[in-house]
Amino acid sequence: MPTVIVNNKPVEIGASERLNCIQAAERVGVEIPHYCYHHDLSVVASCRMCLVEMGDKKPDGTIAMQPKLFPGCQTPVKDGTVIVTDSKKVKDAQKATLEYLLLNHPLDCPVCDQAGECGLQDYSYEYGRGYSRLQEPKNIKPDKDYIGDQITLFTDRCIMCTRCVRFTREISGTAELQVVSRGTHEEIDIFPGDPCNNKLAGNVVDLCPVGALCSKDFLYEQRVWWLKSKNSVCPGCSTGCSINVDQNNDVLYRLKPRENPQAQGAFMCDEGRFGWKYVHADNRLTLPEQRANGQIISKNWDAILPAVRNALKEAALRAPNKFAAVISPWATVEEAYLLATYVRKLSPTAKLAIGPIRTVGEDDLYPKDVHGKPVTPTKFTIHAEKCPNRRGVEAVLKQIQGSVIEFSSVLNQVSKGEIEALYVLGGDPEGWIADADVIKLDKLKLLVVQDLLASAASAKAQFVLPGGAWAEKDGTFVNFKGLAQAIHRGLRGPGEARPDGRILMELSEKPGMFQAPALRKEIAKAVPALAALSVGDLGELGVPLETAAAKSELQPA
Amino acid sequence: MLDKLINLFPEPARPYVAPILAIVIVLNVNLGVCSYLILLERKLSAWMQDRHGPNRVGPWGLLQPLADMGKLLLKEDVIPGHVNKVLFVLAPGISVFTTFLAFAVVPFGPVPSNLTPGDGQFPFIIAPGVDLGIVFIFAIGSLAVYGIILGGWASNNKYSALGCLRASAQVVSYEIPLGMSVVGLAMLNSSMSIEKIMTNQVDQGFIGWNIWYQPLACVIFFIAAMAEAQRLPFDLAECEQELIGGWHTEYSAMKWGLFFLAEYTHVITISFLTSILFFGGWHFPFIAEATSNYTGATAVKVAVLLSKVFAVIIVIQMLRWTIPRFRFDQLMGLAWKGLIPLATVNVLLVMIVKQFDLHTLWLFPLSIAAFVAAGLMATQSSRPFAIKAKLPVEGHGHGHHVHAH
Amino acid sequence: MPINPKDVDWVEEPPMNFWEATFLPAVVDGLRATGHHVTHFKPVTQMYPEEAADLPRHYRGVHRLNRDDAGRVKCVACMMCATACPARCIDIVAQEAPKDDPKWADRDKLPNSFVIDELKCIYCGMCEEACPVDAIELTHIYDLTGMSRQEMLFDKEKLLSVFDQTKDSGLDPIRTHKGRLGPASDFQQLPTLGPATTVVGDDRSAKAASPGVIK
Repeated sequence: MPTVIVNNKPVEIGASERLNCIQAAERVGVEIPHYCYHHDLSVVASCRMCLVEMGDKKPDGTIAMQPKLFPGCQTPVKDGTVIVTDSKKVKDAQKATLEYLLLNHPLDCPVCDQAGECGLQDYSYEYGRGYSRLQEPKNIKPDKDYIGDQITLFTDRCIMCTRCVRFTREISGTAELQVVSRGTHEEIDIFPGDPCNNKLAGNVVDLCPVGALCSKDFLYEQRVWWLKSKNSVCPGCSTGCSINVDQNNDVLYRLKPRENPQAQGAFMCDEGRFGWKYVHADNRLTLPEQRANGQIISKNWDAILPAVRNALKEAALRAPNKFAAVISPWATVEEAYLLATYVRKLSPTAKLAIGPIRTVGEDDLYPKDVHGKPVTPTKFTIHAEKCPNRRGVEAVLKQIQGSVIEFSSVLNQVSKGEIEALYVLGGDPEGWIADADVIKLDKLKLLVVQDLLASAASAKAQFVLPGGAWAEKDGTFVNFKGLAQAIHRGLRGPGEARPDGRILMELSEKPGMFQAPALRKEIAKAVPALAALSVGDLGELGVPLETAAAKSELQPA
Repeated sequence: MLDKLINLFPEPARPYVAPILAIVIVLNVNLGVCSYLILLERKLSAWMQDRHGPNRVGPWGLLQPLADMGKLLLKEDVIPGHVNKVLFVLAPGISVFTTFLAFAVVPFGPVPSNLTPGDGQFPFIIAPGVDLGIVFIFAIGSLAVYGIILGGWASNNKYSALGCLRASAQVVSYEIPLGMSVVGLAMLNSSMSIEKIMTNQVDQGFIGWNIWYQPLACVIFFIAAMAEAQRLPFDLAECEQELIGGWHTEYSAMKWGLFFLAEYTHVITISFLTSILFFGGWHFPFIAEATSNYTGATAVKVAVLLSKVFAVIIVIQMLRWTIPRFRFDQLMGLAWKGLIPLATVNVLLVMIVKQFDLHTLWLFPLSIAAFVAAGLMATQSSRPFAIKAKLPVEGHGHGHHVHAH
Repeated sequence: MPINPKDVDWVEEPPMNFWEATFLPAVVDGLRATGHHVTHFKPVTQMYPEEAADLPRHYRGVHRLNRDDAGRVKCVACMMCATACPARCIDIVAQEAPKDDPKWADRDKLPNSFVIDELKCIYCGMCEEACPVDAIELTHIYDLTGMSRQEMLFDKEKLLSVFDQTKDSGLDPIRTHKGRLGPASDFQQLPTLGPATTVVGDDRSAKAASPGVIK
């Protein structure tokens, strides 16, 4: 095994691994500061922040150090490489580099959105000199008026790491951003008339180590140190990007991609990044409702839950074959399992359908070439299937019912009068029924809608149960390739809205509170395709459901 | 003048007129004086602490006692649900009753020696001719603590219970030096009648004041009497830091007020006793001698006595705002290790003087000598009466430790 | 954790001398001290409602939001005060400075609304300490009254009016310089003045061959 020595500590690396100094040092917990380097982008070694002392350990045990410093991001390591990151020489270099980077950087941290998560602040504190010796006026470049719909550029704060430029060239392939001018006049800009509006543009804000590129959506909304973060999964499409949900006082402010090589990598698309606004929409359902003859009878959970329970029991007794439940592919695995088992307990012949699976266009692959055609290797995919958990819900339904019924067939049966009672577990912010089809629901004797947003269907329902958006609940999403990831409750829902898992738990009178890890263990026993959930805690990266049996089960029908 | 008043009444009622008049005067004056003494104390403490004190009600706050009284009367009188109701209500009454009762044998002016009922002389004492006057006062005065114990016990509250236990322990301990300190007086005067002790002093003039014969007894009496009255620095039964309000934690409104009325009456009583027993009563050289017979001499005599009482009260009040409260073990130590032995020695000295027929003035240097001897004993390097704390020896850090105290 | 006996200093009370043992001098001394206060009565009480209170120079009263020379609100909505506030009584909503308005050309961010709940505030002065542009200050106004809780929520206009009211009082600009913007908001002039961070003459880390990291 090749061994690298970092600050006198040996690091073993794999024989075929190709690591640079930064990655090798990370293995022993040594941080080599860097700005321009990003593991998903090409190496330019332009910021000079990662300069380290390097040397070779000869077979006879002597060490020969190189006289000059090397950029750690650009220098691969091999057996016997010696890296020193804490010598006076290196520290002086870091101080000098930071002083240079700060020469023209305005000290407007109070008004800068990046303050608190800024690479310059962090490294200045950790490695910097603490004061500047500059006597000349700072070179203040005017801010760009417009470089894109979602991003804004404060040119004066830029340290020219060019991460954003490389991102648009290598990951999105759209190459809108470029470096113009030379030397101290260097700045980031767009080509005239060609703004940076690709579907991955938001990522340059995350990539920017300073406050130069800011998200227009989040600009001046909150100071970042007030945000509380929870791990979650983007529900925008079946890619299932790992994300952080950043909220304060139950207001969601932004989503940020969380690096997960098993899921999507380090990025996320703008559709998901800015597509959460329905969480705070005005037409969120905030109170449970019970209706009879179009009149609202009750808005009280304590009264409505038993009423729903009784109504379902009666309906199941009256016509056990005319009883159906629809589970949206936006529901978590736990919710699907709770509802499916509950409905089947009431009526063993009840029909279980998956909600409508919304697809928009084709899978969108990145990077693209100048003509907009995808280029291999694919580095990022925006899936056409705009729901986060089709595979999870299908796995549950297949186990409990044997097959998955499409929503359209249920709708047909409803219009023919073959179904009298329908329980709908929604969650899709775009709705689960077309306006033209709403009239078909009139034939139902009982309609229970558990959903996020008010709709024509929820207006018809006898019972409306306000559920939680994905950021408001715990659970599991299974993405397109069978990776089960945990989502966590980041904020509380509006009004009396409750997490769907809790509603179903109370409705089915299951003992205990809704706890996703415990429920996952139960599901793993009951549903072999989801046996991988038996770990309970899925960790930050999620668990692939990749046993052979699970794989065959998960093949799209 | 008094004759005319008495003659207004039918014959059978006449013997009672003067005593009833005395009772009425004493009770009412006492009540009024108490409330203004409280104002005085508040003002005095304010001046000591560079404050203004009560100054909002009336000029210089002079109507403050009335406002306080009105407040106490109008406040909600809470009787908590968990108390023993009968005893709870009874306790403040007992306190006030006993302290006023003790005043019965205290002369507040030149008591006529040839007093017969109905002869038209104002008695200047409610119950004249009680030969056991001192014993009566001590007996009744220590009953006042009965009210405190009842109140604390009936409150059914741990702070109250602790407070009343402290009060009883304190009163039991300080009864002894209080009683012992006047044994010498009784022996010197061959009497326990307060009037007689006063008259004896007055007859001998300035040199006859008992302070010259019993200085040590005077100090012991004064300290023990303050402890009996639960005055700071001896008010451990109600110390706020540890016991909230002590025995009166659960009391409010006028019931609470009655307790403090009792305390103040007690203060007045002991001030009278100190002035009468040790400072010659109404005697003052030249202006109030036994032979003074000028017009208004009686008024002057009363004024002299009251001035002495007032001076003692002022001293008591100033002591309250000067000396911090004792710790309970210090309180007990003072009684049992200081006052009781000294009082015993004092009695012994009186016995020696009487037995060997020495001049009674010998008692002055002897008392001082006893006091000095006691002080010297306390400062002896060997300190035979002090408990030496065992200190850990250097280098034997893990040895047995006893907390120094 | 029990205290190590080695760490305990055992102290014995010092032996008393003769006079101390009698306690009399101590009592007399005490009476003399308390009596002296009675006879030489100099009250420290201020008769507040009748006479105006004589406040110390560092008194912290009602807040104000300062204006710069152009009359704009000095605050840059960095929310440092809200972050520092232990009572959480400051609520700021920021907005982007109007780009086309030349009046705001040199500013990126300003407060859209700035509300201080004067009832929640504990007047600790942390907001003043935290402010990087010397925009928020506590004034000498102490007689703060209102008829409703709503009235005690001071918004931006009200806070600016407090500034207008107190700027010439002579008492209030004692802590920060009045008029000019603080160092963070007028960064464009800053570099000509010298090092961004003032280096104190006797700062050893500045003199060292390899200046140390200031932690």
